[in-house]
Amino acid sequence: MRRLVSVALLIALVGLLIGCAGADPDLDQNTFAPEGDVARMQRDILIVWVLGPAAVIFVVMQALLIYAVIRFRRKKGQELPRQVHGNNRLEYAWTIAPAILLLMLIVPTVAGVIELGRDAADDALRVRVVGQQFSWTFQYPDLTDAEGKPLTVFGLPGEVGKPSTGRPAELHIPVDREIGVTLESVDVIHSFWVPKLAGKLDVVPGRTNSMWFNATKIGSYSGQCAEFCGFQHADMRLIVVAESEEDFEAWVADQLEGGGAARSGAGEPALVSYGE
Amino acid sequence: MVGALRRLRQEGESYQGVWSWLTTVDHKRIGIMYGVTAFLFFLMGGIEALLLRIQLSSPNNAVLDPDQYNRIFTMHGTTMIFLVVMPLSAAFFNLLIPLMIGARDVAFPRLNAFSFWVFLGGGLFMNASFFTGGNILKGELGAPDAGWFGYAPLSLQSAGTGIDFWAFGLLILGVASMASGFNFIVTIFNMRAPGMTLLRMPLFVWMTLVTSFLIIFAMPIITVALFQLLFDRLYGANFFNFEAGGQPLLWQHMFWLFGHPEVYILILPAMGIVSEVLPTFSRKPLFGYPFVVISGLAIAFMSWGVWAHHMYTTGLGPIANSAFGVSTILIAVPTGIKIFNWLATLWGGAISLKTPLFFAVGFISMFVIGGLTGVIHSIVPSDYQQQDTYFVVAHLHQVLLGGAMFGLFAGIYYWFPKFTGRLLHEGWGQLHFWLMFIGFNITFQPMMILGLLGMPRRIYSYPEGAGWEWWNAVATVGALLIGVSILVFMFNVVLSLRRNDQAGPDPWDGRTLEWAIPSPPPAYNFREIPTVRARDDFWHQKYEEDETGRPVPIVGGGAQEPEEEEHAEGEGHGIHMPSPSFFPLIAAIGLPIIATGLIYDAAIVAVGVAVLVVGIYGWALEPASE
Ligand code: HEM
Ligand SMILES: [Cu+2]
Ligand SMILES: [Cu+2]
Repeated sequence: MRRLVSVALLIALVGLLIGCAGADPDLDQNTFAPEGDVARMQRDILIVWVLGPAAVIFVVMQALLIYAVIRFRRKKGQELPRQVHGNNRLEYAWTIAPAILLLMLIVPTVAGVIELGRDAADDALRVRVVGQQFSWTFQYPDLTDAEGKPLTVFGLPGEVGKPSTGRPAELHIPVDREIGVTLESVDVIHSFWVPKLAGKLDVVPGRTNSMWFNATKIGSYSGQCAEFCGFQHADMRLIVVAESEEDFEAWVADQLEGGGAARSGAGEPALVSYGE
Repeated sequence: MVGALRRLRQEGESYQGVWSWLTTVDHKRIGIMYGVTAFLFFLMGGIEALLLRIQLSSPNNAVLDPDQYNRIFTMHGTTMIFLVVMPLSAAFFNLLIPLMIGARDVAFPRLNAFSFWVFLGGGLFMNASFFTGGNILKGELGAPDAGWFGYAPLSLQSAGTGIDFWAFGLLILGVASMASGFNFIVTIFNMRAPGMTLLRMPLFVWMTLVTSFLIIFAMPIITVALFQLLFDRLYGANFFNFEAGGQPLLWQHMFWLFGHPEVYILILPAMGIVSEVLPTFSRKPLFGYPFVVISGLAIAFMSWGVWAHHMYTTGLGPIANSAFGVSTILIAVPTGIKIFNWLATLWGGAISLKTPLFFAVGFISMFVIGGLTGVIHSIVPSDYQQQDTYFVVAHLHQVLLGGAMFGLFAGIYYWFPKFTGRLLHEGWGQLHFWLMFIGFNITFQPMMILGLLGMPRRIYSYPEGAGWEWWNAVATVGALLIGVSILVFMFNVVLSLRRNDQAGPDPWDGRTLEWAIPSPPPAYNFREIPTVRARDDFWHQKYEEDETGRPVPIVGGGAQEPEEEEHAEGEGHGIHMPSPSFFPLIAAIGLPIIATGLIYDAAIVAVGVAVLVVGIYGWALEPASE
């Protein structure tokens, strides 16, 4: 039976690949098909350092277990087995060996934490992200119009207790350029997550978290709030549009022409204070 | 003594009816009530789970609206953790601890009854919240809606009284847990039979002791946090309210500082059960007993230093995330030691393939997966992707359903004959196991894939085209299969009770003291308090070992037969058992009344306090049995 399970797991892994092939590109959130450096690094750590070794340990342990139960099952007329109480050498072995294997995991853990936790590069495009039940607002503090108002994209906030109808806000970014985001919330805790580009970071009221990421391929990437935030948590989506530097510049110029506050969808804007 | 015994036995037989259950202080009856109540809550939580799974079985489904979905998943998680796994473990503590240490009851029998009634009251109180949202027949639910960990400030913002019921309910349940935690610590330290040294205690007793310590240290933390939450909600305090300078993350620190030890409160009893079942059915002692004990202690100790792994993505910074990542990685070492020792216990045994063994092996098998996904979660940078996705949902069910519940079912099949006198039917039992095992794997292993495919947890619906349809449909089918397996179990219990397949005192050739006495045990448990000479004492009464270490049966060794009682000559004094009392029940009723008053109308508080005071005074002034 357990062998069947491991077969099922294999099939499942294959299905994972099929699954991503079948997904609508605008909705795909497959963390195993990353298009940004952060997500790629996360996937590689996961596969190389943990999923791979874990798969081996999984197979070995299940095999030993099945073997033990079948091999040592009680046969007719069998005498009682020898009463073995333990073996200290074995105990030390299976304490120390796993400990060494596990200690090795400290390397990717600490290295990864430090790399992902560093400040965004100086030339990164800065974006201020504000979470609100149940929408996102994006502001580019360095991209200002003639009056000095920063370019701001408002999502359509839902009303608590009513399904939201708006299209998710688009976060336009240039491809291959580092993006440094700061995260703020005006109500409850949300979590900013674009699976194909980077792991999530919570959006906590009363504090400002920051992270960096990039997109290494032109395209649009689906994201959604990952911390349960109430009624319409499931619909608190966003789309990251990664475009070439020229297209991005053109989009910015276009938006700034109509004043700093761009709108993707109607409705009242999130409670963002303008400018510095 | 003969007269006293006869009187007790007759009392035991005449001592029936509802009233006797309401006033009982007998640890076995309290254990049975704990078990039955927890199972009923398990059905409740299971129905909630099926509703959630049906809603998610296809994209854009509308069986539940978002509001209902949020309330039901909150109650599902809260129920399964606080009203099912914890009390089911408590059922085993109650049933087994006195028997395993050779005692006649727990240290504080009435406090024990109090624990049960408080638990029941707390569970009913919390579920009563369903009715506070308007017309429940129209689907207007009033249950809490902020998830089982109730993150502030969402839990502050939540309208209605659901969260208040949730918080007061947890506080009430905490009282029950604290009382039973202290009770079992004192019982285990003070009530052991002569010769039952700490290192001769059965492993289940050890795990109960460790769990009880975790309970008495963990519960106060969540108690404080819940009071802070209620102060914020009811009286406008600002512990978590960021607009007034409060700290939303303070709640998370408090909750998980309780919450991680809590997950070991949930799993250690099951580990103890498995450590009893495996030796009996492999007919070999537990391999590496001292190492299994020490690793249990190590897990408990380390469990205090890993809580922030639930908060990797809250922005604690590289230092904290690294430190908690490392401590979480290391907690896998003692966990692994246990698994290896269980495997070595099976190794070289003469394993009889009975239902309890199937569940115990199923436990190990699923817990290996749960442990591995735990380690996967501990790697901070990659966990930024998995946190708050279905990957976590898979992990926590691998350890809680595949782990804790499988272990508890092993215990149910193993000890059912001890407390009912009847064996559960093997064929139906194994059918139950296979349906549940297959159903479990079909339900929860796909969730790992869903998590990797980027599906967040706690969403009531998802769009078509995200690539999640197939695995969600599969998971729902698996969940229905688990549901069927539980029906099979219920059928088996009814069938077996009617079939009347007498178990006798020692149906499995057991190793520990509870098998030395009749099934079901008499009210006083042991005719004479046994003197313990070895670990697995009862086994050594039955077998001695020859030079090669093979057991040889001892002629005349074995369990007491009930008939022998008549001929027993005592030392000339009867067995004093504590008398029944209804004051624990009265005192327990006071608590939900007080909580109701604090939510609705302070006048009701006075009523609740009066009931509580009457209960406690009656209890204190009640004449002792002798
Ligand atoms: C090898 C041992 C284990 C390790 C290393 C481990 C690690 C973790 C980590 C890192 C998380 C956080 C995942 C995330 O949110 O990103 C987690 C979640 C969780 N673990 Fe474990 N775990 C282990 C064993 C257990 C056991 C034995 C239980 C309970 C019986 C348990 C129950 C849970 C639960 C309930 C959650 C999810 C809580 C929630 O978010 O609702 N874990 N575990
Ligand atoms: Cu959300
Ligand atoms: Cu934890």
